[in-house]
Amino acid sequence: MVRAMLTAEELQILSTSLGVAGRAVVFSLPVAILFAWALSRPRFPGQGVLNTIAHLPLVLPPVLVGYMLLLAFGVNGPLGGWLKATFGIQLALTAGGAALATAVMAFPLMVRAIRLSFEATDGGLFEAAAVLRASPWDRFWSLALPLAWPGVLAGAVVAFAAGLGEFGAVITFASNIEGETQTLPLAINAALNTPGRDEVAFRLAVISLIAAVVGLLAAEGLQRWARRRLEG
Amino acid sequence: MSLDLRGAVVRRGAFRLSAELSIPSDGITVVFGPSGAGKSMLLSAIAGLHRLAAGNLTFDGRVLENVDARVRVPAHERAIGLVFQDARLFPHLSVRGNLHYAESRRPAARNAPITVEISRLLEFEDLLDRPVKNLSGGERSRVALARAIVSAPEMLLLDEPFAALDGRRRRDFARFLKEYGRDQGVPIVVVTHLIDEAAELANHIVAMRAGRVVCSGQPAEIMTRPEFAALLDPRDRGAWVQGASGHAPGDGVWVRADSVLLASAEPRGISARNIWPGRVAGIMREPDGAILISLDTAKGYILSRITPEALADLKLEEGGEAWAIVKAHAL
Repeated sequence: MVRAMLTAEELQILSTSLGVAGRAVVFSLPVAILFAWALSRPRFPGQGVLNTIAHLPLVLPPVLVGYMLLLAFGVNGPLGGWLKATFGIQLALTAGGAALATAVMAFPLMVRAIRLSFEATDGGLFEAAAVLRASPWDRFWSLALPLAWPGVLAGAVVAFAAGLGEFGAVITFASNIEGETQTLPLAINAALNTPGRDEVAFRLAVISLIAAVVGLLAAEGLQRWARRRLEG
Repeated sequence: MSLDLRGAVVRRGAFRLSAELSIPSDGITVVFGPSGAGKSMLLSAIAGLHRLAAGNLTFDGRVLENVDARVRVPAHERAIGLVFQDARLFPHLSVRGNLHYAESRRPAARNAPITVEISRLLEFEDLLDRPVKNLSGGERSRVALARAIVSAPEMLLLDEPFAALDGRRRRDFARFLKEYGRDQGVPIVVVTHLIDEAAELANHIVAMRAGRVVCSGQPAEIMTRPEFAALLDPRDRGAWVQGASGHAPGDGVWVRADSVLLASAEPRGISARNIWPGRVAGIMREPDGAILISLDTAKGYILSRITPEALADLKLEEGGEAWAIVKAHAL
């Protein structure tokens, strides 16, 4: 049905967007979980720094994030050069780079949702696990993560939905390459800047809106479903 | 062989618990005291969930915590089980899942009941595949105890374990605990604020108030002391008696002063099963006007609370003969 309603160009753009947002979530989720866990623990030295790092993309201009990524991961950047030399991987101007930029921008959203979930878990359960010989690492895998997974799921879906709309960081770091890094917002921007493509821009905007709403509803639904399973 | 706290101090906010005590490594030790005495905190400190601010803790010669030497064995390496008052079952697992959680983490060498055995012993085999959210309070208590036992602890701590249980379950639970401790050679520490539970379970008793150990030792010795009586609600005043009718010879029971009748002559043709002759050791007038008589019997000192009119009728005097009478079912 979706196929029948969309043009080949729109399908291409949508699939690029889904691929970029999907990869962004998959790769940043484990890091987000670790950050959220660390931030939900009782205070420890360095926690404030960690918190600042996690939330920085929320307050920085996206263009600046893209620029910083370019400095670090550009072909001549320290990390980019190393990746290219060691693994032959290039991030700047590629779909992988678009995913990285999207991941960085969506990271704070993910960390917040997951952290809330960790914080909502009854700390008494961890004490109960400790006296059953579960080590801290064991308690993380066997209790913290399974109990927080509705939040993890919600964080991932919200980050995915937000990732579909990431613009500034992606265009700065990965540029606007059709079929490679041209996601929905980039395509809308390109269409708006091209005379006679207003209708294309409008259709893409509607697709974007629908994707975002579906994403948010899915996050809400999944979280409710998971909570019901856990609490009854 | 015991668990020893020396100069131990635990702090939480403004509350300060200081403990100097030994818990023998066999039988049941009851930690008794009014709420706010710091009993649960003491268990948490022993289990390793609360850090000592000073002093040291050793278990069978092994140092679990020594503040000066900066030694601290974490809770998960202490092999000390703790059953919390609120059960703390893992909500994402079934009953069986909760028990397996403990079973899969115990050292292979430790010999202790496994999930299936314990669920049969504690009569909840039919609950094994239920989610824990569907359990009643009493069921949760039993599963929490089973989970702790399945983890094969070297010492088992229980915080108010009977709170959610009804009469019959309570008695079964108490019997089970005694047998488990004896058969597995696991020392047990039970926290309670109820004098009946304390008297019934204790081989050893630790009395606490306001973050301090008031006294500790054998129930026969400790429970007759004035400083122990001072911990009790006046209505709970009484005596610890071993081998009352309806109870096993070695079992203790708390005989409340309010449930003891006095007779000035040997009673005959009476249904009561506990009739103990003795001499009046003391006659005290209580603030509310009631008279508390202390009777020296073969069972120890028995207390009876009577009215001034009864005292006058019976013509009781210190050193005089009297019989204490208690219904078996009143205990």
